[in-house]
Amino acid sequence: MDRLIYTSLTAMRSAQSRQAATANNLANAQTPGFRGDVAEAQALWVRGDGLESRAVASEEVIGADMRAGVVMETGRDLDVAMQGDALLVVQADNGEEAYTRRGDLQLSQSGLLTNGEGQPVLGAQGPITLPPADKVMIDSSGRISIVPVGGDPAQPQEVDHLRLVTATGSKIIKGLDGLFRIRGGGILPDDPDARLLTGHIEGSNVSATATLVQMIEASRSWDTQLKLISSARDMDSAAADLMRLPE
Amino acid sequence: MSSGALHVARTGLDAQNMKMQVIANNLANVNTTGFKRDRASFETLAYQIVNTAGSPTSAENKYATGLNLGTGVQVKGTARIETQGTLNTTGNGLDVAIEGAGYFQILMPDGQTAYTRAGDFSLSAEGTIVTGNGLPIQPQIQVPEGATSVSIGADGTVTAQLAGQTDPTELGKIETARFVNPAGLQALGNNLLAQTASSGVAQVGAPGSEGRGSLRGGALEASNVNVVEELVDMIETQRAYEVNSKMIQAADEMLKNASQQL
Repeated sequence: MDRLIYTSLTAMRSAQSRQAATANNLANAQTPGFRGDVAEAQALWVRGDGLESRAVASEEVIGADMRAGVVMETGRDLDVAMQGDALLVVQADNGEEAYTRRGDLQLSQSGLLTNGEGQPVLGAQGPITLPPADKVMIDSSGRISIVPVGGDPAQPQEVDHLRLVTATGSKIIKGLDGLFRIRGGGILPDDPDARLLTGHIEGSNVSATATLVQMIEASRSWDTQLKLISSARDMDSAAADLMRLPE
Repeated sequence: MSSGALHVARTGLDAQNMKMQVIANNLANVNTTGFKRDRASFETLAYQIVNTAGSPTSAENKYATGLNLGTGVQVKGTARIETQGTLNTTGNGLDVAIEGAGYFQILMPDGQTAYTRAGDFSLSAEGTIVTGNGLPIQPQIQVPEGATSVSIGADGTVTAQLAGQTDPTELGKIETARFVNPAGLQALGNNLLAQTASSGVAQVGAPGSEGRGSLRGGALEASNVNVVEELVDMIETQRAYEVNSKMIQAADEMLKNASQQL
């Protein structure tokens, strides 16, 4: 039988992976700060003896779509939406510095400031811990001030600042925990010009319509490959018929 | 036979369904005194490595980026949004609203203290100030028989006019509790909340002191649910549910064609 079916098989596998990536984007269409994954197929040429006529498809996640998501007003003091290309610095589970667009900050009982996924947010001296306060305020450059319990609301005290970085010019990739890191390691310098919007939250940047179109594309690509495999089968059986001895 | 896309889309349906339940509960409690709306918070599930970047594809070639596929979404938790509800004047002397942070302390039948923002109090047969469910507030305040015009002051002082006396008599003081992380309180139903490890320990004191809100007698705090906001959330959730079910349909269609044509 023709080797065509193996080439088609790689394309079907690729369509299936792409469909899984698309499903993940759709499922996270309401996750704050989520960045959609961009999956693309690449041709891998099969080299060897004879005519180089085969390129198998290999599906790869090229990176994340870094377009901004829709910013919604929530009025909550601890919700921050990063503006422009700014990213918030958080601590990943392995202690490394990593970056996120997710800004629905939470305050734990011990006063540790984390983002919505529970990763500690980093300040000037590592993870930020806030003392008990009547009010916590974050300004547009990330400075955190508090009104201590029983303190004068007119005289807030500055306690720390959220670290903001800008990835422009550096290649960042999304890790298995959904956080961004510089490809090949390293850390980004703090960006004093980065700004955020308090009382707002950035949603996911997944566009449902665009993703539905990708879904249909992946389905059709799958169906086309199916057609190729069944054509290969027809050709094979026709060839087998030719060889059959007349009865 | 399994398809990743089918299962990933299922996590999306589950999460949207759960969010819808949160919205339904908010809407159902739109007229509940002192109710605080919940917001469902989503998080991505782990990514799984299919191909590692840099791993060889053949003797000469390497994957440039690799393939990490996400496995979906889940609702990480619900956050109670603690904004102030509207204050409605009722004129009823035993109705009281908290303006600012704090909770009334309620004695549960099992001896534990629960917390509430609902100040629609009434009198028990014995003259104790109790919640709508008949649970006494802490510290207990006894209103003597024949007392007229009970009123509650901004600092929690409860006074009443007793028969045969010209000046109002002080009956006791309502104290309120505040928490470092009020969002960490656990909802018990019946408008009651319980202290947890994440809320921190109750800091009890007079209303209006140390960051505790002051009391407003003759008024009730309405829920902080904004119906329009919930309806918009509802539509958004419904649409997200729809696209995820479309995804399931598409993945199913792919598998169906494969099993029919091959």
